[in-house]
Amino acid sequence: MLALAVLAGADAYSVASAGRLAPVSAVGSVVGLALLAGGIALRWPTTIPWAVLASGGGYLAGREGRALVDGWAAVVGVALLLASELATWSIEHDARIRTEPALLARRIATLAGLAGVAMLVNFLLLGTAAVSASAGVLLAAVGVAAAVGAVAVVLRLARSSS
Amino acid sequence: MTRYASPKLASYAGLSAVGLLTALVFARPELVALTAPFLLALAAGLALATPPRLEVSVELDEERALEGDEVRTTVVLAASSPVDRLDLYLRLPQGVELAEGRNPVALRLAAGERRELEFTLLAARWGGHVLGPAYVRARDPLGFLVWERAAPTRPELRTYPREDVLRRILQPRETQVFSGNEVSRHKGEGIEFADIRLWAAGDPLKRVNWRASARRGELWVNESHPERNTDVILFVDSFAEARRGGTSTLDLAIRATSTLADAYVRRRDRVGLISFGGILRWLVPGMGVVQLYRVVDALLDTQVVLSYYWKEIDIIPRRTLPPNALVIALSPLLDPRSVGALLDLRARGYDLAVIDVSPVPFTARPAGGLDAVAYDIWTLRRDALRHRLQRAGVAVVEWRDDEPLQAILEEVRAFRRYARHARV
Repeated sequence: MLALAVLAGADAYSVASAGRLAPVSAVGSVVGLALLAGGIALRWPTTIPWAVLASGGGYLAGREGRALVDGWAAVVGVALLLASELATWSIEHDARIRTEPALLARRIATLAGLAGVAMLVNFLLLGTAAVSASAGVLLAAVGVAAAVGAVAVVLRLARSSS
Repeated sequence: MTRYASPKLASYAGLSAVGLLTALVFARPELVALTAPFLLALAAGLALATPPRLEVSVELDEERALEGDEVRTTVVLAASSPVDRLDLYLRLPQGVELAEGRNPVALRLAAGERRELEFTLLAARWGGHVLGPAYVRARDPLGFLVWERAAPTRPELRTYPREDVLRRILQPRETQVFSGNEVSRHKGEGIEFADIRLWAAGDPLKRVNWRASARRGELWVNESHPERNTDVILFVDSFAEARRGGTSTLDLAIRATSTLADAYVRRRDRVGLISFGGILRWLVPGMGVVQLYRVVDALLDTQVVLSYYWKEIDIIPRRTLPPNALVIALSPLLDPRSVGALLDLRARGYDLAVIDVSPVPFTARPAGGLDAVAYDIWTLRRDALRHRLQRAGVAVVEWRDDEPLQAILEEVRAFRRYARHARV
């Protein structure tokens, strides 16, 4: 339910902020929500990326015709990730398996940490893109890849030292 | 450990690739922002994923238990590398139930941590139960990679059938040569008075019956019945069984056989076992507690195995069926091969008693129609079969689940007493 609520929030923002292709945005959002709900209900994890794609497509359609970079895209991106993670958790969850409270707390903390770091990276990315719009999307994408790679290397080193 | 990627790995990689390409095509930085969290999760997950180094073992506090006993089991987990998410499932065989503890369980292990998970198991049914394997499934913190393995240790819990208390058991008609608790019908050295006879050279003085000698004017001596042991062969029919829920005719037969073996071994009788079914097992008669354990251990391995092979009594080794032995058969009388073997035993002169472990309570009578007629014919045929065995001189008693074994044995005793009188 939480996954659906998070995705619904992101979709609501997409539709509310949509321009002339608002109906297309709404359709993408509804399809995304339906796919996610179906995937959770049927315990079918392959629907999750399609739900994210549909919702992301709806957001992209809503941005059609707007030149300014949307700062809320950072939040929408993290919301899509959270929805995907929560839906995966829901599908994986087996009531017969007793989960220790410490493991549950750590999993929640991991998810929260991931969302926080992703939010930070996104704000940095969008801030950079807004300041140097002339640098282009290619440079932004390369920057994201480099930032993500750096985070991965740091985590790997931290893991091997522990 | 077997490693495989979860579906999430492929989907996040695909989403990242599609998102970044679309961002380039449409020249929208927002799409990079939508994609970056997935890329970050992917990179972080793979960076944190290290193959778990984990030792798993299963230990049993006791390897032998009685039906209904509780046994403590410990699953020991020793991790030499951190395991962020670990699912553990100890597979329990049929006949063993979880009484206390949670199975399966999800937990986390730090590097160098050793955990002992304790379960209390209920030995619900007799048999040799192999526990496990204990399956473990480890995941990286974000669940992109999964490692699975099964614990190599699989301890065996041998659950012995719970025995009834018998006050009186069936007495064989013939005794053997070793001393025991059964008063022989023959005359010899013993305590029980049998008769008096004229003195003969070699008779000890202490056996002279002075009162009879004084009355008759010549020496008369007392004769007595010696106390001898007997040979008892327990014949378990494992060709077929009737089962309902957790109980079957074979369960009842095994418990009764175990009870009888215990009772006869206590009387210093020699006890042997024949498990006549798809798999033929036998145990040559023997005495003592060791023999009792042999019998019960052999019973634990008894099971119904489907077989179309026609077996006759000839395939049983001769030493397993000594002359003058009492054969007590526990059979649901469902398979013609076992019925044929029992009639064959009787034809060869063995002292035979059959406890018919009735399959009737395990089957519900249909409400009506042809099925009900067929059911009634089946029960009538069973009556006819018992009658046929009785006409052959075999003591047959039908045993239903709710009746105590002692009552059934008393019925057999009564039949044998009556049959003996009729023969005289």
